[in-house]
Amino acid sequence: MNQNTNIYELVIVGGGPAGMSAGVYAARKKLKTLLLAKNLGGQPSEAWQIDNYLGLPAVLGIELAEKFKSHLKKFSQDIEIKEGEIVVEIKKTEQAENNLPLFNVYTEKEKFPAKALIIATGVSPKKLGIPGEEKFTNRGVVFCATCDAPLFKDKIVAVVGSGNAGLDAAIQLTSYAKKIYLLNKYPDLHKGDLSYVEKIEKSPLIGILNNALPKEIKGDKFVKSLVWENVKTKETQEIEVEGVFVEIGSAPSLHFAKQLLKYNEKNEIIINPETNATSCPGIFAAGDVTNMPYKQIIISAGEGAKAALSAYYYLTKT
Amino acid sequence: MIKIYSTPTCPYCITLKNFLKEKGFNFEDIDVSVNHEAAKEMIAKSGQMGVPVADINGQIIVGFDREKIIKLLNIKE
Repeated sequence: MNQNTNIYELVIVGGGPAGMSAGVYAARKKLKTLLLAKNLGGQPSEAWQIDNYLGLPAVLGIELAEKFKSHLKKFSQDIEIKEGEIVVEIKKTEQAENNLPLFNVYTEKEKFPAKALIIATGVSPKKLGIPGEEKFTNRGVVFCATCDAPLFKDKIVAVVGSGNAGLDAAIQLTSYAKKIYLLNKYPDLHKGDLSYVEKIEKSPLIGILNNALPKEIKGDKFVKSLVWENVKTKETQEIEVEGVFVEIGSAPSLHFAKQLLKYNEKNEIIINPETNATSCPGIFAAGDVTNMPYKQIIISAGEGAKAALSAYYYLTKT
Repeated sequence: MIKIYSTPTCPYCITLKNFLKEKGFNFEDIDVSVNHEAAKEMIAKSGQMGVPVADINGQIIVGFDREKIIKLLNIKE
């Protein structure tokens, strides 16, 4: 394992809006900072159109992500950015410098020592956990509607999920698919924004299936059908579809930091809402990975900035 | 000879193409959202429907697999 003898003042783990915003603030405070990310961009890159980011109405998700990235990279003289990096573990060492504990951040190949950390690793899509889902992933089962919707031109598809992500996917698919079944486990579409619900209800291409729970995905080489159950009547039905878009929300993955940090039953890191401090002094967290209740891009960007400022004051207090 | 099958709004497709451009590699940029023959070709070659798909001298890589691409193209980082 390569031992990096540089001690960073701050290591930011995660390259979504929270991580990138933290990076901009840390760079401007001239903190010796490293940002580690699998990919820069985060969830906005996979959204189709975002209409609630102040100042950028109806911006394409991918454009917003690109704006964030170039703003961050403007400070590349002041912040080291490593992409393609997955953090596998974080440990607190026995050492300290100026009374501040030192941490080691481990990727598969390297170790990065740091005096403070910001965890901004966000969330990953939840899976349905039904038969056929694994088998047909990328063979008709899709987790990124924005990426793959165009491949379902003139096909019949199903979208599972009635939050904004599901409704957004269904609307995107109206440009390509012949027919879209929207499976909603609730009696009505109350989870998503009304502006989306209105579009969905007006579209002749979208068939809304309320009280619907997917049970099995079937096919041979690719998806051919979906079996679903009515949660009220317990009746099952099979619909012929060539695509199943899974949009049922997401959850944090915390395997690398569980032993160090307090988290809740949803695997979210518990933070002090004023400072973004976690239960471990020196470690801060921001964005969807935390227990802050609203998971929105603009909120994550703000939380990333707060975390960086808190880390700065933590590092420079005497 | 590098062929990249992608759709315009797929973020990993953009990351992959930018990565290749940064490293100085030319490639054929195939938009499977409009070119349906190419979409079928991509699905046949890769056995699946996710984008991006890279065809690097006959070797097929699905998704932005940075490590595999660096190896295949002998990129020094």
